[in-house]
Amino acid sequence: MKSLLLLIIPLLVVFRSQSKRLINLPIAFQLVLGNFSLLLNDTSNLPQTNENLNIETLKFYISKVQLYQIDSLAFEEQLSFHLIDISNPSSLKFSIKIPKNLSYNRIQFYMGIDSITNVSGVMGGDLDPIKGMYWTWQSGYINFKLEGKSKLCKTKNNLFQFHLGGYQIPNSCLQTINLEALEEHPIFIKMDIEKFIKSIDLVKLNHIMSPSAEAVKLSEYLVTCFSK
Amino acid sequence: MKYKVALFSLFIFFLSAFQLSDYFYIPKNWPEPIYDFSKNPLSKEKIELGRLLFYDPILSKNNTISCTSCHSPYSAFTHIDHALSHGIVDRIGTRNSPTLMNLAWQKSMMWDGAIHHLDMQPLAPISHPDEMGSSIDSVVDRLNSLKFYRKYFYQAYGDSLATGEKTLKAISQFMLTLISANSKYDKVKQSEECFTQQELNGYHIFQKNCNTCHKEPLFTTGDFANNGLPNDTLLNDLGRFKITRDAKDSLCFKIPTLRNIEYSYPYMHDGRFKTLSQVLMHYTSGKHLSKTLAKELEKPIVLTSNEKVDLIAFLLTLSDKEFIFNPKFQFPKELISYKTKE
Repeated sequence: MKSLLLLIIPLLVVFRSQSKRLINLPIAFQLVLGNFSLLLNDTSNLPQTNENLNIETLKFYISKVQLYQIDSLAFEEQLSFHLIDISNPSSLKFSIKIPKNLSYNRIQFYMGIDSITNVSGVMGGDLDPIKGMYWTWQSGYINFKLEGKSKLCKTKNNLFQFHLGGYQIPNSCLQTINLEALEEHPIFIKMDIEKFIKSIDLVKLNHIMSPSAEAVKLSEYLVTCFSK
Repeated sequence: MKYKVALFSLFIFFLSAFQLSDYFYIPKNWPEPIYDFSKNPLSKEKIELGRLLFYDPILSKNNTISCTSCHSPYSAFTHIDHALSHGIVDRIGTRNSPTLMNLAWQKSMMWDGAIHHLDMQPLAPISHPDEMGSSIDSVVDRLNSLKFYRKYFYQAYGDSLATGEKTLKAISQFMLTLISANSKYDKVKQSEECFTQQELNGYHIFQKNCNTCHKEPLFTTGDFANNGLPNDTLLNDLGRFKITRDAKDSLCFKIPTLRNIEYSYPYMHDGRFKTLSQVLMHYTSGKHLSKTLAKELEKPIVLTSNEKVDLIAFLLTLSDKEFIFNPKFQFPKELISYKTKE
């Protein structure tokens, strides 16, 4: 019994001191359309452009959040999956627990879900299929979903729907975003969807619903939307 | 004292482990399962919940179609008499439902392999407008509104709140228990029984002509192949091509298992053959020599009428009555009580 205590007490001390040295680092996304801050219940105040654009759905996955110090990996979040959903404002910010005096100057993350997670069976939380980000007819996560209306779209109700996904080569839609973040606390990341929309000719292309080369191309445009 | 406690705990553990083997086991000489049980460890309560969900039409929009509507235990978990499966309000789909058995060894689901993991498979029929016409979030809402299910979710997960993950994992657990490995063929392989001369002839014919694709002991490699079925221009179903967009996958469909084939007519992805004789006729004289025809089928297969009868006699030895009539796989009577109380 005494020997057991001699083993346990130092372990407890170590664990307690470890937990003391972890801090919360909030990461907050600001979703904008050009200069305009985008929150779903404010779409009535969207600047009137020629296209009379309306955003109705904007959801995407952020995963494998990592912090780098120059070229070396300083920290990687475990079980790192976050669904950023404009209709759920609290999802725009999440925290990661990092060691207290961690040095970092860059943040890196995936937009989308990696291939291994895609084939690992059903999972919960933000990865739960009830979140509406999983293709039911052909296995795979939808990395990015944008739906809305534009007068340029010759569709019923002028609807456009971009569901970008696909995890198998050559149609893998997973994108890596790497941004400067010199010891920032919290880290604010801007996501300007206008850059994405402007890169599409809505007259010619108003929907993508499955993995394809086109989906990959569009997901590459999305990378340019993220900035500090 | 501590040792006694430890020993007792070990005993209880092995007791429960032994009981779990009532639900899942690896038949002798079978390969390791593909399904990753570490992500969804089996428990009696989860299996029971999965069975309730499998038989409950609550998964469908208008409460009429359950999994068992197309996957009936008495037909090896497919349904008979229908070439193409039908769903809510008699909508007809484009394919014949496949049998369900030995799913822990199955690397992909659906005739075209569209679904990569057993857990995700129910999403397809749940959401398809011609099948159940619902959605997983709608199903989960319904389950959470019923005291009946809140109780079973609590028993299974220690938490009465249903989620998409828990619902799908429970259905997987029930489906994983559907093991068929006790046919006459299996007993012959275990030296417990003997083939008749006719069945033995049939087995040799099978090994000579069919064994590459319908590989023992699962009676499928799980791969996709074009077995020479002429394209039905009305359905125009190109099979695996739809998923991979690779021309070499055109008209390729998953090689189905031949286990319990006696019970699972009609045959092929679109149910075009009602009898095994028609199937054999196709292989001997009906093959369409398309570009993607499986190379194993390039040479003609020549069988006399007697040889065809022998081959069918062998195929009938793949029938597993214990599987077909296993009460653990059938309609759970608990569903009756809750349906009548509603």
